[in-house]
Amino acid sequence: MKTIMITSGIFLHPATWFIVGALLLPLAKKLNLQKALLIAIPVMAFIQIYALPENFGTVHYLGFDLIFGHKDKLTFVFLHVFTLMAIIGCIYGLKVEETEQHIAAFLYVAGSLGVTLAGDYLTIFIFWELMAFASTFLVLFRKKKRSTEAGFRYLLVHVAGGLILLAGIFLRYQNVHDLTFHRILVEGATVADYLILVGFALNAAVPPIHAWLPDAYPEATVAGAVFMCAFTTKTAVYVLARAFPGFEVLMWAGAIMTLYGAGYATIENDGRRILAYHIISQVGYMVCAVGIGTEMAINGACAHAYAHILYKALLFMGVGSVLQMTGKSRLSELGGLYKYMPISLILTVIGGISISGFPLTSGFVSKSMIVEAAGQHHQLAVMLMLLGAAVGTFLSVGLKLPYFIWYGGRQSDFEAQDPPWNMQLGMAIAAFMCIFIGCNPDYLYNMLPFPVDYKPYFGYHVSESLQMFAFTGLGFYLLIKKLTPKRHPVMDAIRAPLTAAPNVHHPTGPLINLDFDWFYRKGARVFMWIANNPLNALNEFVSNVYQNIGCRMTMAIAKASSWFDWNGIDGAIDGSARGVVALGDKTRMHVTGNLQHYIGGSVAGVFVILAIVIFT
Amino acid sequence: MRNIIVYMYERKALFRWFFFGILGAVVLYDITVHRPEEAHFAGDKIYGFWSIWGLVICLAMIIFWKWLAHGFLERDEDYYDN
Repeated sequence: MKTIMITSGIFLHPATWFIVGALLLPLAKKLNLQKALLIAIPVMAFIQIYALPENFGTVHYLGFDLIFGHKDKLTFVFLHVFTLMAIIGCIYGLKVEETEQHIAAFLYVAGSLGVTLAGDYLTIFIFWELMAFASTFLVLFRKKKRSTEAGFRYLLVHVAGGLILLAGIFLRYQNVHDLTFHRILVEGATVADYLILVGFALNAAVPPIHAWLPDAYPEATVAGAVFMCAFTTKTAVYVLARAFPGFEVLMWAGAIMTLYGAGYATIENDGRRILAYHIISQVGYMVCAVGIGTEMAINGACAHAYAHILYKALLFMGVGSVLQMTGKSRLSELGGLYKYMPISLILTVIGGISISGFPLTSGFVSKSMIVEAAGQHHQLAVMLMLLGAAVGTFLSVGLKLPYFIWYGGRQSDFEAQDPPWNMQLGMAIAAFMCIFIGCNPDYLYNMLPFPVDYKPYFGYHVSESLQMFAFTGLGFYLLIKKLTPKRHPVMDAIRAPLTAAPNVHHPTGPLINLDFDWFYRKGARVFMWIANNPLNALNEFVSNVYQNIGCRMTMAIAKASSWFDWNGIDGAIDGSARGVVALGDKTRMHVTGNLQHYIGGSVAGVFVILAIVIFT
Repeated sequence: MRNIIVYMYERKALFRWFFFGILGAVVLYDITVHRPEEAHFAGDKIYGFWSIWGLVICLAMIIFWKWLAHGFLERDEDYYDN
């Protein structure tokens, strides 16, 4: 029998603020209160996380205990930075007029807070999907052909990842009849747990299931990307840190991630894509730390997540400002902006040195905990991989990115200026936090789940960092010509005969780099052939049945609800639904029309996995 | 703010020498600094090791990834559109 019983108030949940806020935004816009609401909601949530009880909001539903609120020290540090980031992001996006963008951002933050506070797998799954769904709109609302396509790929990959997670959850329930979300031990891990691990790892952008990130984030709206860079991957780090500490596979995956992301960033041309690859690199440190699994390492993962959210958002805000003011984000099209956007330059450089881990910045006090944890764990190779990636980080984000946008490269022929005050304020708060944490590491260390017995500032550690960065600077100085994003004439000559139609080929245009998304962007054609031939016969049979029975019923319900939507709800929200319809029409034009095949394919894939696991 | 940046930008040669000075200074600092007795790694015992590390990794990273890009990864921007 269906019984819903709320043991304690669900309205304590900070995600509730964002969901209610999202619902109120259209009304607030009408009353000219949108800006006030945009600041009030995240500030309320930020204050509320201090007052949360340890357990709240348990709902008994269909025989399951849905635990919406479980708070401990590990939860708190993530809640703290998520709500702080929501404040910064809302200030940065204050002047974005489209209410839909703010609604998407609010629901996205709500999803992230919901996952962080969830005490069981079903609740995690609900909010996990909310995050994926809401964040997709932050890409789609850029309303360009490329972003629409990237947005749908992003959604499909996350739907597939969500299905893998769900398969793991079902199997886990079959195995242990318990969906409480707590630590899984390496020794007792089953296939179910590894499916859950893969589902989480997809959101943490662990290669080879990372390509959605550098594919979608650079195509998002300016303010949307600032939100996206903070929440999805760090929520994944949180769930990994809670469920899978000490899984050695994560340690190696994380160490590889750090170098993989840093490597791709050295050859990328698009500013926001460089930053996207460096999310992979930085999240690699956290995943690696979770894999090491000691108290020091978990502390390091949390500290680095906290620091990373702030400096990465700062960097996305800086490059986003350039995109907003000049319309450009490719390094090959920018240069000489130091004259026009000096404040953005300085704030972005603060982000750049923080991500690199310069002394007196947040990266120095957080990253070094993870490196030290690897050393204490006697993982020399891992430690050196992390220290190598630090060099690559400074090279790409500390030097290459600001250099080609604000100094060298193509001298700009446009008169840009620094962005509006609210965008500068958002950046300034993040920059302040980067330096504040760097100078007062105890502020961060006191929040960490385990007691900290680590002092980042001692002579040799400072010397090690200064040497590494100074001589990375020398390497940059020596090979700057090679780093300049441009075409390679010899390689162009070799590739030229392969290009069939010369009128389609633009040998002077900018370049992109292949990554694992090739497999579903080009490789999908192989899948489509299979779908078009043997599977098509089956499909036709099913769709005949559906058209005769299912369709009529669906149409009748759709008609009724559409009437209600158009005449009832829409009257209140003043045409916003019509706006969505228009966007939907636009979207339909861009999408190739094979969406249902992709979704069908991923669902079929999960059923195959389930069948193999259950029947063998 | 802008004037300071412009001032620096117009005196590149001076800042180049300043930069080389910093390179020397950090190595000098490493020679004088107190080293922890228990090192995780043999490189920690060598003076100026992390300078070599920074330079070598930086150069290797640029050369290796540029080679990978030019040789295998680069495509025209409309590659996926066709």
